[in-house]
Amino acid sequence: MSATSHDAAPMPPKQETPFRRFVSEYSESPVAVASFVLVVLIVSIALLAPFISPQNPYDLAQLDIMDGRQPPGSKSLEGLTFWLGTDDQGRDMLSGIMYGLRISLGVGAGSAVIACVIGTALGLIAAFAGGKTDTGIMRLVDLQLSFPAILVALMILAFLGKGVMNVMLALVIVEWARFARTARSAALVEARREYMEAAQCLALPKWRLVFRHMLPNCMPPIIVIFTILVARSITLEATLSFLGLGVPITEPSLGLLIANGYQYMLSGKYWISFYPGIALLVTIMAINLVGDQMRDVLNPRLKR
Amino acid sequence: MVAGRHAPRGVQGVRMGIRHWGAALLAGAMAAWTPAGAQTLTLAVAAAPTSVDPHYHNLGPNNALAMHIFGALVDTDAAAKPRPGLALSWRAVDDTTWEFKLRPGVTFHDGAAFTAEDVAYTIARVPTVKNSPGSFLLFTRSITGVQVVDPLTVRMTTRGVTPLLPVDLTQVHILPKGLGAEPATEDFNALKHANGAGPFRITAWRASDRAELARNDAYWGPKPHWERVVYRMIPNDSARTSALLAGDVDLIEAVPTQDLVKLRTDKRVAMAEAVSLRVAYLMLDLSRKDGQPFVQGPNGETLTTNPFQDVRVRRALSLAINRQLIVDRVMEGAAVPTGQFLAPGSFSYVADLEPPKQDLVEARRLLAEAGYPNGFRITLHGPNDRYVNDEKIIQAVGQMWSRAGIQTKVEAITWPSFIGRASKQEFSAFFAAWGITSGEASNPLRAMVATFDAQKGTGSANRSRYSNAALDAVIDRASSITDDAARERALIEATRQAMADVALITLYQQKNIWGMKPNLRYVARADEATRAADVSVAP
Repeated sequence: MSATSHDAAPMPPKQETPFRRFVSEYSESPVAVASFVLVVLIVSIALLAPFISPQNPYDLAQLDIMDGRQPPGSKSLEGLTFWLGTDDQGRDMLSGIMYGLRISLGVGAGSAVIACVIGTALGLIAAFAGGKTDTGIMRLVDLQLSFPAILVALMILAFLGKGVMNVMLALVIVEWARFARTARSAALVEARREYMEAAQCLALPKWRLVFRHMLPNCMPPIIVIFTILVARSITLEATLSFLGLGVPITEPSLGLLIANGYQYMLSGKYWISFYPGIALLVTIMAINLVGDQMRDVLNPRLKR
Repeated sequence: MVAGRHAPRGVQGVRMGIRHWGAALLAGAMAAWTPAGAQTLTLAVAAAPTSVDPHYHNLGPNNALAMHIFGALVDTDAAAKPRPGLALSWRAVDDTTWEFKLRPGVTFHDGAAFTAEDVAYTIARVPTVKNSPGSFLLFTRSITGVQVVDPLTVRMTTRGVTPLLPVDLTQVHILPKGLGAEPATEDFNALKHANGAGPFRITAWRASDRAELARNDAYWGPKPHWERVVYRMIPNDSARTSALLAGDVDLIEAVPTQDLVKLRTDKRVAMAEAVSLRVAYLMLDLSRKDGQPFVQGPNGETLTTNPFQDVRVRRALSLAINRQLIVDRVMEGAAVPTGQFLAPGSFSYVADLEPPKQDLVEARRLLAEAGYPNGFRITLHGPNDRYVNDEKIIQAVGQMWSRAGIQTKVEAITWPSFIGRASKQEFSAFFAAWGITSGEASNPLRAMVATFDAQKGTGSANRSRYSNAALDAVIDRASSITDDAARERALIEATRQAMADVALITLYQQKNIWGMKPNLRYVARADEATRAADVSVAP
């Protein structure tokens, strides 16, 4: 006790980098730290699924319909234990959830990254170019945001058909507009700052002005939007799969696992829907909590 | 309360006198009274009829509703065999003439007597229905002339030999000629023209929601138990089951298979089931000679031959499937495994043709013999929103084929897109089901096995483009015999040949399952129709 206070006091203050300040402010909330750990855990499960899951739930040859709808804890014909039960095709729910997380996170994060790149680039261009380009891009954004995301995604998938790639494309189309709007408003503020005037005086090329000088300073709000939209993409993907428009039936994501089990709810076979539902809930909640804390930390208006 | 209970009798009396201006008002009054009635049956069907007009859309749900209100010359019993309806008897006078003796003393809802003129009027009306999405002309096309011999005798002449005319006419509901020239479908939906000779008259119609029926006390047949019937349409499976369990409805059709195990042990529910005329099958593409869009060699290499052209491959794919397991585990017992078109007890059922038993050793041997010792890769397609458990069935088949060494992927797509692509031979293998409306093998043989020929009208559902000239001849001969016994023998022979050559892989016949309150009984039907008149109260 005394040792720590003794040690801590004379230590020279660490050099304040923005990152360190961010980490120390973020760590103020134990819930946020727990959520972050949870997100890391979920992401690692998703990445390592092929190595740690008891079964490959996407390989029809490994499934046996004789093992269908077994309650949690029962054993398969080959001696494998189904800790979370099986679905109607004899798919181990635990493996199904691990692989399902992989698809859900992959689709969610993947589409958010692509949407982020496209949206931010367009937002910056709009802010920097102004005039007709700005009006053009921003009216497109308004148009996009005036339709409910799920409706647009449903229409796109009805047109393109099922498949992981098509779901990602639909999510990108639905989400780029939010990034564009956020990036533009941040960039408009930054454009009037002195450092930008200084950079302009140096007659740097325009792309360098925008991407090297303006972009890094616009990042905080974009990062916040990004985390929230990852969670939203996962929800949207789950919704689309639940409605039968998302991923193929032999490669279920969390939403499709829930949809498969939903029909059995009245029969008391709760586990087919329940556990994927919990997995989806925990994932989205953890990502949202991380996003919330980031918003608090990165928003200058909330600075104490 | 007392007044309320007596109201309908008063209403009935008034109705006789001032039918014209009061109908709409009375319908409203009767609808309001419905919940209080002791003899009211509330039933829920799984698919909404698209119209009250019996000749507008040839669709199961429409025909089921029409059975309540109208009535055909020939009726069908629970096993889908023809029995007298508005006609008492019929016979083939010669190869191209049928004679129907009509039931005497029958009246329509408006009191007009039923005569041969009404039959002629109905047959003439069928082709005049406008914008029909599924025409009933299918059933009357072969009729070239209708002669009214006397008020209770009518003769129909046909183009060519038409042994199945009485069966076709089970789908054609008779209208009174008093409706006048070309009655409009809209007027049926507005209940202006909904006038038949059926056990019930329709008192209210709300599309996609409900119809309300009142007993026709002048009906010629057995008097239905129910004074009033509320005919609700609840397409969502869970909602339908919940409505039954909650007591909102008395009887539901198409009990979802996933709820069967639970409902069978639930004391609040009684069940009735019958094997249906719907046979589930797989088809393998035979339209190509060289290669297949969704078949590759075991290591993904392109094939230059079509493996399905070899009957040994077709037989191996059939033997790889454990039909009993699919029925038990996926259909929850709501089906019977089969190796032919019809269920036991049907006309032209082949008694000694057992459903193939799964035999992986034999399947692998046949594949090796045909030159595919390491199997091949295949994608099996199927719809995901059309048949009971459709996408689960194809996954189960995929598992079984994979076990026989055929690496199978499955893809389920929505019905409109599926059927369009299947009809263009875009798939290598697909799952579907066929409802055998006529209840005998000539229908599936002509539609799915006979060579595709649009002009001849054969092979309309032969999406594999299977073609066997010798078998075509057998089918042609079998379907033009008027004598029932001789025709049955010929159809059995044709079925036997088609199955031996694996023209298609039949899997199972679905069961139709009804759930109801424990004090009710229903005569389960092979044709999926829910008839309020067949619902009775347990003694």
